[in-house]
Amino acid sequence: MTTHISGRGWLLVLASVAIAGCGIGTEPQDSASPGPAGSTESPAATITDYPRPEPPSTQYTIGIALPHLSNPHYVGQAYGYLDEAAALGVQVTMLEAGGYQYLDRQVAQIEDLVASKVDAIILAAVSGPGTVGAVENAAAAGIPIINVNVMTDSDMVVTRVRSDDDVIGRMHADLMGERLNGEGSVVMLRGAPGTSWAEIRGNAFKARLAERFPNITIVGEQYSQSTPADGLRLMEDFIQTFPQIDGVYNGADTTAVGAAQAVLAAGKTGEIVMTATDFQIDTENFIREGVITASVLQQTVTMGRWGIRAAVNHLEQRQVPPVLFTAQVPVTAESLETIDLSGVRAPDGWTPPAH
Amino acid sequence: MNLLKQIPWGRVGMPAVIVVLALVFGSMNPNFWSETNIANVSRQMSILALLSLGQTFAILSGGIDLSVGSLLALVSVVCAQWMLEFGVVEGITAGIVAGALAGLLNGVLIARLRVPAFITTLGMLVAARGVALTLSGGLPIAGLPRQFLVVGAGYIGPIPIPTLLAGIAFVVAHVILSRTRFGRYVYAMGSNEDAAVLSGINVANYKVLVYVMSGIFVGIAGVVLTSRVISGQPTLGEVQELYSIAAVVIGGGRITGGVGGIGRTLMGVLLLGILGNGLNLIQVSSYVQNIVIGAIIVGAVYVDLARERRR
Repeated sequence: MTTHISGRGWLLVLASVAIAGCGIGTEPQDSASPGPAGSTESPAATITDYPRPEPPSTQYTIGIALPHLSNPHYVGQAYGYLDEAAALGVQVTMLEAGGYQYLDRQVAQIEDLVASKVDAIILAAVSGPGTVGAVENAAAAGIPIINVNVMTDSDMVVTRVRSDDDVIGRMHADLMGERLNGEGSVVMLRGAPGTSWAEIRGNAFKARLAERFPNITIVGEQYSQSTPADGLRLMEDFIQTFPQIDGVYNGADTTAVGAAQAVLAAGKTGEIVMTATDFQIDTENFIREGVITASVLQQTVTMGRWGIRAAVNHLEQRQVPPVLFTAQVPVTAESLETIDLSGVRAPDGWTPPAH
Repeated sequence: MNLLKQIPWGRVGMPAVIVVLALVFGSMNPNFWSETNIANVSRQMSILALLSLGQTFAILSGGIDLSVGSLLALVSVVCAQWMLEFGVVEGITAGIVAGALAGLLNGVLIARLRVPAFITTLGMLVAARGVALTLSGGLPIAGLPRQFLVVGAGYIGPIPIPTLLAGIAFVVAHVILSRTRFGRYVYAMGSNEDAAVLSGINVANYKVLVYVMSGIFVGIAGVVLTSRVISGQPTLGEVQELYSIAAVVIGGGRITGGVGGIGRTLMGVLLLGILGNGLNLIQVSSYVQNIVIGAIIVGAVYVDLARERRR
């Protein structure tokens, strides 16, 4: 009897693994039009299109390591990767770390992708400095790294496909400063510490404010994981701490959605100018309702597409520019209806397959 | 069937599961057996291995150490800051000393002030993360010397250095538990603390030592992880305490103490490590991986209890 129970127990262990094994499926579905960013703003080296190459004759497998897949930004990006990969006949292995705080997991995932001998790795880094070692190991193993969206501090990458975070930060400052007529107290929800986007955007915002609107004071700033829960908590505390808040900067719209609820609950709708980055449905709704004043849209789907294109071009021995900036587009209630969303969001109802 | 009954499942069950898993993963992705991947898995497991060693001591003695995950972050930050200020060796030393001191504080609170281990280390879990965030200002500490990379990425012969460190720690821990008086007392405290006190064992002192050891193992793990990510990171190690407890109980350690050992913990670590890597290699969703691991934790303990009840 003893043996019987034990034997069954081990079977249980194996069976659960076997069941898990059945849930594989990274094949993307239908293809949509490749959505080059509707670029309205191009102060830096933003290019309007990085066209799709011919499908390669070799069957490539590309590994993708993402910070997480639990917000619309990365879901949109995942759509870009998978849809483009399908169009080009490329195999994809997509892994996500579960959040910006799980650096150890992302490092292990990069190592696992190297071990499974993918042809190239696309990386959106959970930490700039923290991924240097893993990136250099991959490069030493001869696997090219395409860095997308969130930057690693290592320069051993083929190219960087990204928004110009510096421009995003300055756009925030211009939107904020103009709405506030150059005066007021502002708090900042910067986003995930140690990521390029939270750093560069936040710093550019402050620098631009100081330069163009010296009478605006930044009274508080906090880093946090980029979730609505963190945005809500921090904004509630800011409202308690500072009797007069005129503006709120959000490095990501994930915190903005939470902060908007704090503003609503405090009955301060319309009294506070709030800027966000990205354009999930809740952000769109809050802009329509006037709780969020403006958002700077990133072309996250386009980033995914260009990442795959850059990887294929590199594997096919074609020259790839060292940086590929996708466009950033400021949106307010006035321009809400005119925005081209093909490069911004996954199609309605699309969810990532088992990843 | 008779033959099956003669197999001592308690001893070979878990190793058998691990071997079968490895064969399954290997057949689904041949790269599983590649030299790179074996180096990979062992390197990835080394952190959990070190944390689980300390956890084994804590749980065997009738306690628990919930603080290991955030101590990892504290060690990482201290190590990186001292390294930038004073040098590589000083940084490594400071990291390990920080781990040991935090363990000492845990131990004194538990053994001398009699705050339950669960509560003490729960408090430390929260507070240590706070200290790590405060010291670092919440930001990663970059710019560590390149030669420090060798701790996490280097090899001695064919063996990755983290693997080697974890291996040595396992041998040392095994010798301590099975060959020393301290080791016997750890089992005694966990089986029946009152009896241990009555038989004249200075339980309080040995308890302090248990948590100091756990702190030292966390210190080593934190230094290795800091090197692997070549920066001090205040957000490292989240939920690692739970995985270290899982490794102990999956291997067959009893959560209430007195039963378990280093060999068993090693089995738990191997199972979790191979699962994580293998499921990545055969492209199982990381969400589903969590479901699998959760099922295995409960399943393994169920099997253990069922066997015990039959005795």
